[in-house]
Amino acid sequence: MIVLRDLVFDYPGHRALHGVSLRVEPRTITALVGPNGAGKTTLLRCMAALETPYAGSVTIDGLDTREAPRAIHARLGYLPDFFGLYDVLSVRRCLHYAARAHGIGSAQAAGAAEAAAARVGLADRMEQAAGALSRGLRQRLAIAQAIVHQPAVLLLDEPAAGLDPRARRDLSRLLLELRADGMTLVVSSHILAELEDYSSRMIIVDQGRIAGGQAITVRDAAAARLRLSLAAPHDGLADFLARQPGVTVIAADAAGALLTLRGDAPERAALLAALVGAGFAVSAFAEDARALEDVYFAQVTSGERKP
Amino acid sequence: MNPELLRNLWLEASPIRLALIAGLVLLVFAAASAVPPQWGSAESAAQVLYWFFVVLWGTRNAALSVVAEIRERTWDGQKLSSIGPVQMMWGKLLGSTAANWFGGLLCLPPMVAPVLAGQGPRAALLYAGMMLALGLFAQAAALLSSLMLVRRNTGNWRLDTFLCQVAGIAAAFSYFTLWRSLDAFQTSGAETLVWWGQVFNLRAFHLVSLMVFLTWALIGCWRMMRAELRFANGPFVWLAYLAFLCVYEAGFAPWLVHRLHLDAAPLFDTILRLVMAVFTLTATTYSMVFLEPKGPVRMRWLGEQLRAEHLRRAFLALDAWMLSYGAALAASLVLVALLMARGSPLVLPAAALPGFLTRDVAIFVLVRGVAQGKGDLAALAILGALYVLVPLILRGAGLEALLALFLPRLGAPPLTVIAAWAQGLVMAWLALRSIRPGIREKLKAA
Repeated sequence: MIVLRDLVFDYPGHRALHGVSLRVEPRTITALVGPNGAGKTTLLRCMAALETPYAGSVTIDGLDTREAPRAIHARLGYLPDFFGLYDVLSVRRCLHYAARAHGIGSAQAAGAAEAAAARVGLADRMEQAAGALSRGLRQRLAIAQAIVHQPAVLLLDEPAAGLDPRARRDLSRLLLELRADGMTLVVSSHILAELEDYSSRMIIVDQGRIAGGQAITVRDAAAARLRLSLAAPHDGLADFLARQPGVTVIAADAAGALLTLRGDAPERAALLAALVGAGFAVSAFAEDARALEDVYFAQVTSGERKP
Repeated sequence: MNPELLRNLWLEASPIRLALIAGLVLLVFAAASAVPPQWGSAESAAQVLYWFFVVLWGTRNAALSVVAEIRERTWDGQKLSSIGPVQMMWGKLLGSTAANWFGGLLCLPPMVAPVLAGQGPRAALLYAGMMLALGLFAQAAALLSSLMLVRRNTGNWRLDTFLCQVAGIAAAFSYFTLWRSLDAFQTSGAETLVWWGQVFNLRAFHLVSLMVFLTWALIGCWRMMRAELRFANGPFVWLAYLAFLCVYEAGFAPWLVHRLHLDAAPLFDTILRLVMAVFTLTATTYSMVFLEPKGPVRMRWLGEQLRAEHLRRAFLALDAWMLSYGAALAASLVLVALLMARGSPLVLPAAALPGFLTRDVAIFVLVRGVAQGKGDLAALAILGALYVLVPLILRGAGLEALLALFLPRLGAPPLTVIAAWAQGLVMAWLALRSIRPGIREKLKAA
């Protein structure tokens, strides 16, 4: 669906992206995380065909952003980190304009506006001025504008920033619904804890590069994420785990590992037995909510140590 | 209806705003009718109001139509929309100024009525057409300027809007002054004008010229809007504009020969037209090299395309200043050849001029490269020093003969050509080095 190959982007005076390559599969929610200034927004803007890369390519549905930016625009919705609304216009007019601006005919625009408003829970506020909405409701309106034409790809830059916990929960639900409807979403975020609620893969961007060189699987409904710790370090842990059925290693070293295991309690018991049987001194083996954060900091910290 | 026009009408032409404008116009007309005639008339009041609504306020709204979108962070959304460049341009140009045109159109009948009564329907129609085209020309010039400044990404929207407004007002005012000055021409008996050997009615020629330049301004807005909406533009429209400018101005050469009592030999006629073309192309090079971004990243990208022999891709991506510069060089070369054939002493300054132009253009690129995307005002200051301060100092020191080493001068010695091209080539070499990555860091380290 979205393929980036050796993407390089330069600002005057510094290189923002250093040969980034990645692939985003259809009907997934991919989270882009990383410190401020890491290049997340530039990456999203390149994907949205709003910026022309210095080198490399971005293709969406096989269309190159350099060759066919307008065709790509028709296929995607984009919510920038600092977005604006026409504050004087009502919610209805904002959405009607967004629908018409995305090529929906005047006869269908009213229906599309109503549908988008209903989707984000703004159906009862259609006549309210956009400027009179709260932060959370403005965010919803902005998302409704981005999805009014039912794009195949939705790019969201820090959509949860400034939202209260309830609005964040609603946002997570909305993103999952959109994915269920067939959209491919790429969401940039700082809030790691919430990524698990909606995203299936996490890409850590650090200093203009993909940290670790690849995406990290965040959540798989059929595979629990487990943290394994050893009382005594063992160099063969990663290789051993990789050979076990149903296991996907997210990160591993001699002292422990973060992995996903396809299956339920019996498979978990079988893996534990295999580990113990192979001589690994297992001191902890359980689901770990903080694991994602650990991976993030491990990747970003290792990036900071680079010269 | 064009969605961009519709949205602008929602925002700009609310019933309350239109009612307020109508009320204001009526109030001013009533006041103008009530005061003694020597204080003013409804016609003069209408003229003042028309200029206020359509030119003064209209240029501001036209300039803000894109700048405000960027300021309010809605421009990305518009760029991602399906609205095409033509729709976007008209939607912004007419939509953002809808209230202004409402006020202006209310003022038009009282302005035209005295012309209708005094000079008949043809003159009245001509006058009304001129005022409408003038207003649209001013607003298009403001929108075009704002789209050019948007590319420069200065970040100072207040100053940008003001500058664009000034550009629009200046365009309207200069044209209107010319229109008014035709009265003086006509009273002196000159009602016609010769252009490319053809005789034209002065006012009709003037109005057609306005229409043609308005069309070019609209084409400029359309092209800039295309660039904003990520369409590739290509060089051909700009080259056509340069050709038009040269042909348009060259049409006045016989008139200039007549006015300045110059040698009217056929070869000289051609040379004069070429000189005018060189000056026009040089002027457009200077204005565009100042106005266009000249980002080092883009320059570097162009260099890589050339190195990889992607010549077509590089040619299609050339900026307007590069095309103008190339055209100026080509025209200068032909001019030098013709002057040499004629044995004219003008050949030396003609050969030096492109050298100095190369130097000045390279200064813009060099300063921009070193300052990593900024520094046009610094480049302008350097040129100001070269063209104003250096001559003052040299004259003060009694070294006026050395002036020809720094700027093109009539009657200069052959050394001027060598000096011009030596400076041009050195500055060009430095400019090319300045667009390399990391140049700023290297300079700091040095």
